[in-house]
Amino acid sequence: MSLPKGLRIRISLSFFLLLLLFSLVFARFIQLQVLESGTLKEIAERQHRKVLFVKPRRGTIYDRKGRELAMSIETFSIYAHPERVKDRGRLARTLSRVLGERYGKVKKALSRKTSFVWIKRELPDRTFKALRGLKEEGIGFVKESKRVYADPPLAPHVIGFAGVDSQGLEGIELFYDSYLRGKGGRLYGYRDARGREILFSNPGREATQGYDLVLTIDSTVQSVAQKALKRAVEEYRARGGFVIVMDPKTGEILAMANEPSFDPNDFSRASPSMWRNRAVTDIFEPGSTFKVFLAAAAMEEGKVKPSSRFYGEKGAYRVADRVFHDYKRFRWLSFTEVLQYSSNIGAIKVGRILGRERLYRYLRVFGFGSRTGIDLPGEAQGILRNGRAWTDVDLASISFGQGVSVTGIQLLTAFSAIANGGYLVRPFVVKRIVAPDGRVVKEVTPYIRRRVISEETARVLSGMLKKVVDEGTGRKASLEGYTVAGKTGTAQKVDHVRGGYLKDRYISSFMGFAPVEDPRISILVVIDEPRGSFYGGDVAAPVFREIAGKILPYLGVDPLYRGRPLRVRGVRRVEPVRASVVRDRKAIPSFIGKGVREVLRQAWDLSLEVKVVGYGRAVSQDPPPGTSFKRGDTVTVFFDEGIEKRTRIGDNVSLNE
Amino acid sequence: MKRETDKVIIAATLILMTIGVVMIYSASYIVADQRFGDGYYFLKKQLLHITLGLLVLIGAMRFPYHYYRPLVYPLLILSTLLLLIPLISGAGVEAGGSRRWVQVGHFVFQPSELAKLSLIIYLAYFFSSKVDKVRTFKVGFLPPIITGGILIGLVLKEPDFGGALFLAAILFFMMFVAGVRLRYVLALVLASMPLLYLMVVRVGYRWNRIIAFLDPWKESEGAGFQVVQSFIAFGSGGLWGRGLGKGGQKLFYLPEAHTDFILSIVGEELGLIGVSLIILLFVLILYGGIRVALEARDLFGAYLATGVVALIGLQALINMGVVTGLLPPKGLPLPFISYGGSSLIVSSAAIGILLNIYYRSREV
Repeated sequence: MSLPKGLRIRISLSFFLLLLLFSLVFARFIQLQVLESGTLKEIAERQHRKVLFVKPRRGTIYDRKGRELAMSIETFSIYAHPERVKDRGRLARTLSRVLGERYGKVKKALSRKTSFVWIKRELPDRTFKALRGLKEEGIGFVKESKRVYADPPLAPHVIGFAGVDSQGLEGIELFYDSYLRGKGGRLYGYRDARGREILFSNPGREATQGYDLVLTIDSTVQSVAQKALKRAVEEYRARGGFVIVMDPKTGEILAMANEPSFDPNDFSRASPSMWRNRAVTDIFEPGSTFKVFLAAAAMEEGKVKPSSRFYGEKGAYRVADRVFHDYKRFRWLSFTEVLQYSSNIGAIKVGRILGRERLYRYLRVFGFGSRTGIDLPGEAQGILRNGRAWTDVDLASISFGQGVSVTGIQLLTAFSAIANGGYLVRPFVVKRIVAPDGRVVKEVTPYIRRRVISEETARVLSGMLKKVVDEGTGRKASLEGYTVAGKTGTAQKVDHVRGGYLKDRYISSFMGFAPVEDPRISILVVIDEPRGSFYGGDVAAPVFREIAGKILPYLGVDPLYRGRPLRVRGVRRVEPVRASVVRDRKAIPSFIGKGVREVLRQAWDLSLEVKVVGYGRAVSQDPPPGTSFKRGDTVTVFFDEGIEKRTRIGDNVSLNE
Repeated sequence: MKRETDKVIIAATLILMTIGVVMIYSASYIVADQRFGDGYYFLKKQLLHITLGLLVLIGAMRFPYHYYRPLVYPLLILSTLLLLIPLISGAGVEAGGSRRWVQVGHFVFQPSELAKLSLIIYLAYFFSSKVDKVRTFKVGFLPPIITGGILIGLVLKEPDFGGALFLAAILFFMMFVAGVRLRYVLALVLASMPLLYLMVVRVGYRWNRIIAFLDPWKESEGAGFQVVQSFIAFGSGGLWGRGLGKGGQKLFYLPEAHTDFILSIVGEELGLIGVSLIILLFVLILYGGIRVALEARDLFGAYLATGVVALIGLQALINMGVVTGLLPPKGLPLPFISYGGSSLIVSSAAIGILLNIYYRSREV
């Protein structure tokens, strides 16, 4: 049967109508899938791609003995999506019980009209474990890293602190941030419309944990220094002060204490001025301690001898338009006595003999007016004007430490050059940088910047400085059983507002080293604005005594020198280890059970220097076997005989000749 | 193709069903896994639907289509009753705020799907038996409008606005083919405007959908979310697609990705190529249907075949219009592809009827 023509046409027409509509839809598909594809693809990427940042663990900071001073611990924080919580009352009850929080407080948090609310940050480990199994909708945990520091604080000004996002803000945390921080990792994945991660297709980049640091700081020494400083600052109701303890031969900082102090675990509670490591960042006029460098220069130049005599002018001496005074009406003083009694007028005369050019040159060589290069942030360089511009008054003032500004670290580094036989070292606080896998990334070796004075000058000057402590202004620094060399300083504070000096405001200081024959430590004590007494010899010297008296035995320096040194061929004084590029690292063998002779032979083969303590059979050694070493490193080996008698038999035995 | 019309239709239908099954699996795996703990949940059920659909298809293919003539009114009454059930009793299964489903034993059935089929059969029967009076108002226009109007009204009541509009589209399409005076049709459209206005503007969610339709990006977090996500799916698929199973939009971005918006997932994973294939397959079915209509041995067959074309074609078009943002969103599945038993069974039945008309026309 054939359909009516009209119907046929309309049926065909209806098909073309549908075809037309399909073409329209097809055009739309082309628009979306071809023309606008790029833009839409981007939007899709943005909403699907989920980048999960994996935070690296920040490196740990150890003291030289391996004790943790700063470390990051993992804590969990609990949060809630309040609108997803089903039974607020029940959940609040559970949480308040486990967290030990008030029910009302938790309930209130869960009832907030936000999509996210912290219930508690940094949960204690036990609480987290108790809550972890909780299967409740709308709550979750976030892993957070928390930085914790020694408590009570140890060397907070040196270590500094890191902020909430694990970025170093002060001290070593800041200076070595790039090492400590590590590198964050990334995971790529998809997320669904509810924001949950679904699958992680590729590994992205793994997080690299931060490097650990081993400091030169010794916790014991640091603790002793902190306590002694705090006691002095409290006793003299001083504004503050600092102490630096250094190994004069290597420049290793064993302790660096500051007052006022703060707790880095709660650093925001302290004012930023309390965070400052004044020993490095602040400058002050050194006063009489500076005479040491004048003396060193004058002797090195052969201009004076210890016995050279100077007239004290009965305590008042005019230079150009200014009259300088001594605290006592000195008459004739030997050069030794000028130091011993700290005569300003004597120093002025020595300065005049030496001349401004030479004095300036020596002061520069000692490192004044330039940074020591210590690995701590914010080091000041001090103020030392060019010697050619000095007036006679300038020369006179600078000769006894006025009109020149130094940092504590500068002063002690320069002073250590006298202790170590004439070398200016670079002070440092980080000894070693260790990768998470235990690989030593960087071993900091002592670095000698230059020779400043001859060994002979250093030796003679040391003897003079010993007299300062034995018989002069530094008597309160003297120690029973140890020889101490040092110099006191009492400087009026500069009035930065009006110029000139502030009345009755002093900076009292003492710097010293011990034992004089083979200095193991050099210490600088600076007390800012003590009240009552203000002489460095009264205020600062006792602090030195307290610290040195405690740490010398701790460092293995025996107070009584009774024994007879073991005579081994080729004994000589150890000079500070020169900086060398580390190559071919080897491990120290075990010497335990071996005799002295064998130990020395084995060490000779390895180019190790050995310090022999006692005699007989080796019972222990420091560093322990397996520690890596380089040419010229020193191992202390303790033998079974002689130790209990507190007799030191060997003294820096070296076979490297 | 002249001789092979049946094979083309069957092949196109089967390919569409296959694509549907694969895409349902891809689109629903994660959702099903999260909701039922079984990623294959929707896949399995759809395979069951297809089995049933094919049985219905074969049955309808064998069932002589002129037997529908006496069944027209019983079918209409059945459809009406089924549409009433969810409205009057608790038998309706609520989903998404509307009661479109009727539970029959294990199966949930959507009565509006049956209504579509009944309407087509009724209209085919009506227009083929009133040939001479089609152009009159009283006979040619009023009865289909009233019958259709009742069905549309009931579907609207559920409320299933999309389904109602779709029934209306079928009604107008068939009236156009039958030759009902266009001015009556146009007059009706104009007359229904105020009603449409009330139905849309006064119902909050529909109005929101219109707003979202006009500027989906502005409402991309709210009412426009679905459409915007659909755009993103198509766009990120591009020409070649991201690869089967590799789409990201099904991760809860595109709600009901396995049902009404399955074409978006096709677009994302198989690209314009995949979408074009589906369009081509539909056009082939429609072309086949038109050929069947033109070659039908009687008017009833011709109208019925045209009705099937309208049923499949308009539904596909509206679905595609919605997923591409050309039409405001309304719940209409894509025939053979979208997940869902009722739609699949009705579409299969329609294809079966079409084939039966074809085979009848070949009989000598």
